[in-house]
Amino acid sequence: MKISFPYMGTSHIVAGYLLENLGHEVIHPPVPSKKTLSLGVQHAPEFACLPFKIVLGTYLEVVEMGAEVLITSGGCGPCRAGYYGEMHKRILHDLGYPVEMIVIEPPLVEPFDFFKKLHRLVKPKGYINLVRVLRVAWAKMQALDDLEKTLHKLRPLVFAKKQLNRIYDEGLEAIRRADSVKEVAVARKDALEAMHSLPADHHYKPLRIGLIGEIYVVLEPFANFDIERILGEMGAYVHRSIFLTNWIRDNVLAHGEKDIRAAAVPFLNEMVGGHGQNSVGEVVRYAAKNFDGVIQLAPFTCIPEIVAKSIMPAASKARGIPVMTLYLDEQTGQGGIETRLEAFLDLLRQKRRKQEAS
Amino acid sequence: MRVGIPRTLSFFTLYPLWKPFFEGLGVDVVVSPESNKALLDEGVRETVNDACVPIKLFHGHVAALKNKVDILFMPRLVSLDGKHTLCPKFLGLPDMVRCSISGLPEIIDFRLDLKKGKLELYRFLYRVGQRFTASRAKIIRAIWLARHNFSRYRKLLLQGLTPQEAFNCLDTGYEPQPEKNMSSIRLAVLGYPYSLYDNYISVGLLEKLKSYGVNVVTPEMVPERELKRMSKNLPKNLFWYYSNRVVWSCMYFLQKQNVDGVIHVTAFGCGPDAMTNKLVELETKYNPRKIPFLTVTIDEHTGEVGVATRVEAFVDLIRRKKGMV
Amino acid sequence: MRGYLGIDVGSVSTNLVVIDDDCNVLIDVYLRTRGQPIQVVQEGMRQVEEAIKGKNIEICGVGTTGSARILTGVIVGADTVKNEITAHAVAASHMVPDVQTVLEIGGQDSKIILLRDGIVVDFAMNTVCAAGTGSFLDHQAARLNIPIEQFGELALESKSPVRIAGRCSVFAESDMVHKQQMGHPVQDIIAGLCDALVRNYLNNVGKGKEILPPVVFQGGVAANVGIRAAFERALGLEVFVPEYFHVMGAIGAALLAKSAIRGKGRTQFRGFAVSDMEYKATSFECNGCPNLCEIVNISVNGEVLARWGGRCGKWETLQKTG
Repeated sequence: MKISFPYMGTSHIVAGYLLENLGHEVIHPPVPSKKTLSLGVQHAPEFACLPFKIVLGTYLEVVEMGAEVLITSGGCGPCRAGYYGEMHKRILHDLGYPVEMIVIEPPLVEPFDFFKKLHRLVKPKGYINLVRVLRVAWAKMQALDDLEKTLHKLRPLVFAKKQLNRIYDEGLEAIRRADSVKEVAVARKDALEAMHSLPADHHYKPLRIGLIGEIYVVLEPFANFDIERILGEMGAYVHRSIFLTNWIRDNVLAHGEKDIRAAAVPFLNEMVGGHGQNSVGEVVRYAAKNFDGVIQLAPFTCIPEIVAKSIMPAASKARGIPVMTLYLDEQTGQGGIETRLEAFLDLLRQKRRKQEAS
Repeated sequence: MRVGIPRTLSFFTLYPLWKPFFEGLGVDVVVSPESNKALLDEGVRETVNDACVPIKLFHGHVAALKNKVDILFMPRLVSLDGKHTLCPKFLGLPDMVRCSISGLPEIIDFRLDLKKGKLELYRFLYRVGQRFTASRAKIIRAIWLARHNFSRYRKLLLQGLTPQEAFNCLDTGYEPQPEKNMSSIRLAVLGYPYSLYDNYISVGLLEKLKSYGVNVVTPEMVPERELKRMSKNLPKNLFWYYSNRVVWSCMYFLQKQNVDGVIHVTAFGCGPDAMTNKLVELETKYNPRKIPFLTVTIDEHTGEVGVATRVEAFVDLIRRKKGMV
Repeated sequence: MRGYLGIDVGSVSTNLVVIDDDCNVLIDVYLRTRGQPIQVVQEGMRQVEEAIKGKNIEICGVGTTGSARILTGVIVGADTVKNEITAHAVAASHMVPDVQTVLEIGGQDSKIILLRDGIVVDFAMNTVCAAGTGSFLDHQAARLNIPIEQFGELALESKSPVRIAGRCSVFAESDMVHKQQMGHPVQDIIAGLCDALVRNYLNNVGKGKEILPPVVFQGGVAANVGIRAAFERALGLEVFVPEYFHVMGAIGAALLAKSAIRGKGRTQFRGFAVSDMEYKATSFECNGCPNLCEIVNISVNGEVLARWGGRCGKWETLQKTG
């Protein structure tokens, strides 16, 4: 059976490696493009969110490429994303694609179902192989996150910003090719060294921006117009609240993130699904860490982020940190996003100058 | 002491529980006026843009009550059936309202989460009761009154009364016989109670259909055990209380009641309905009888004319299909 | 005399101004963009050149703003390229030093900017369609067969504005036709349209913003006295419309150019000859890697002037070597 999966940020490198080395034929999903989005928009309900539409577009692309089985994550609500696997399956069947959908539910909620599905995927090459493959995959994931964190840190400081992007992209490719924990370590070290070797102004104090919001639009550059790059090239340091490794640690292996949610309690005293409560908590945390500002990314019609957004002004005011919400959907234009980001950075610079003067 | 209850969202489901309860505690219950333009405008002004109309309307109802009562009652409804939660906007509602509207009186926003067990409802009511009286006996009596009234209400709904008719019946004892037009067509009108039964926001849809001589059935008329049976049809159910009831009752009406058509009333920007609407659409499409299906989207700008045109055309289409014209 | 040129190229209009060292506006030019930013900038440059002829003004700095700011900046050789939110805020606080709220409504977009003690503390731009912008009014004026210039005056004559609903201009139009059929006088309908626009603006762009006086209203729509009156009714505050309300973005760009020059000394202005050169903007998708960046390519007289849009810089660096 030919297997494929959704595309989100750098996760495809790990997912592709895992499935291939468990002994499956993998159809690698293409980088989401305008074509992906328009395919998704055409067949998705109008008020489904942007991640739903992009992922549906990706599915339509991979089934055309021959995928027979799609693997995705499930969830138990109340965010809609937990139902997307089921919904996507129905839409694909309705369009006449007889794909099979394997929806992996969170192991802590449905342990039996999880291991049943896991067993099916692991069977071809056995469990000893699984241990090896998982170790490499985890190493890859950590290396990818390290590269990305370094990229965020160096971008505002390095003079040749485009060259930095290139080295980073090459680093991703090297990590993708690596086939053992050792090779991953070498690829990681080479890429980090190359990034650090670029001439940079280490005395420059960039604006520090926290990036929060719904996981897909935060992690997938196509969905957010590569906002980290835009901000970095404008000279700001972006701290992203979500990385794959910490997300998996907190949501799949254990119920984590309690401190973030506790920080949100004065403003939002309930889990509202998705990253809604986290978003509010992160604002409080960024304010405590003296960040200059926070940008919230939300898919248009995203329920948890709408709840968060309506609470944001109160949290922003109480903690004295500017927050800007950007809604993303298929209508959003790059120009409008860039204008808002530029103006937001101007606002933060003026604020910092005023604070320094007083 | 006056307690204010907004006349929207869970009002059409739970008001007959709250009202006798508070009255039993010796507290006056003040309900916001029926939805109207001014109230909606106020809500639209206060609420975050991207919220759906029902949430905006709720803010309007709260604003209308805030100067008339000592306490606002808007419990944080997390789960009403012990299995599924309500829409995330319900979960965050008390916080949203606090951050959006200024000058609010005291708010009672205890969590009601029946996932904690069936007795949680009584514990919840007891907690609320303690805010008003120290007398244990008084609270228990109020709970008993509430329970009694509430189960009568549920029975009336199953008989086909609308919530408003049932409220009147509970107050006055007068029980109108739902008129049945045997020769006519039967339509399932699906949607959330706060959209279906709020005449302003639904632009009088139910009345209009009845005036066309259509027999209307709604999710509130389906017995619990039937809903439960239907819930087994889906490999994975939705996460939200009201949405599940829409999907399950849709399957019930299609399988057991031979409805001639399905209308789904959904609010502009409703998150769960992006899923619900598609599920309902596919249910009707893959029904062997190919049931006609219409989506009516309502929002703060909905014109009565636009909805009437669509609904009228839909009814005509079904009449034609049945060879009635 | 030293002059500073500010250019604001928006989707609907293109404005150019020249200010002097004391920030007086010497020349202002207002043109329709008509979807051809390059040609309209060239035309504007021609008009500015014409206007300063014999006045002994030397252009010592150039700033661009608006949605085509980068493109325009490359063409004219700008010293500063700024987004229109900052440009509008700079211009407003220059004209009214203690301004706390700027309402700006242009052809296809609208914004609100909050300032406290002279610095921008919050802003918002419209996210939904045209129902809160100038093109909404243009459209309805055409529909009613009334010149847009008379729109505001007529609105002021109304005693009881009718209520016109509509999230978007198409629905508003059908509601307006409905009200016409009911026999409402045209003045009341126009005043109702003004109220609808202001309501949409305040509920969308102005949502949750603390609007404090002094309030400055600028952008093309500020010419409309009916809208200004509707704002004053809705806010209960006096609304101030500056003299050069329609070219505030360009004034802001010129002011920013003036301060940029103070920092770096010499202008990069390419001179008025740019109006006679042949510019071409093209774009293509780079297939070098899976990122599929869209590269914008600007050439003058067949020679590549600038490229941007790439992630890795491979196209951008070509510009320097070749």
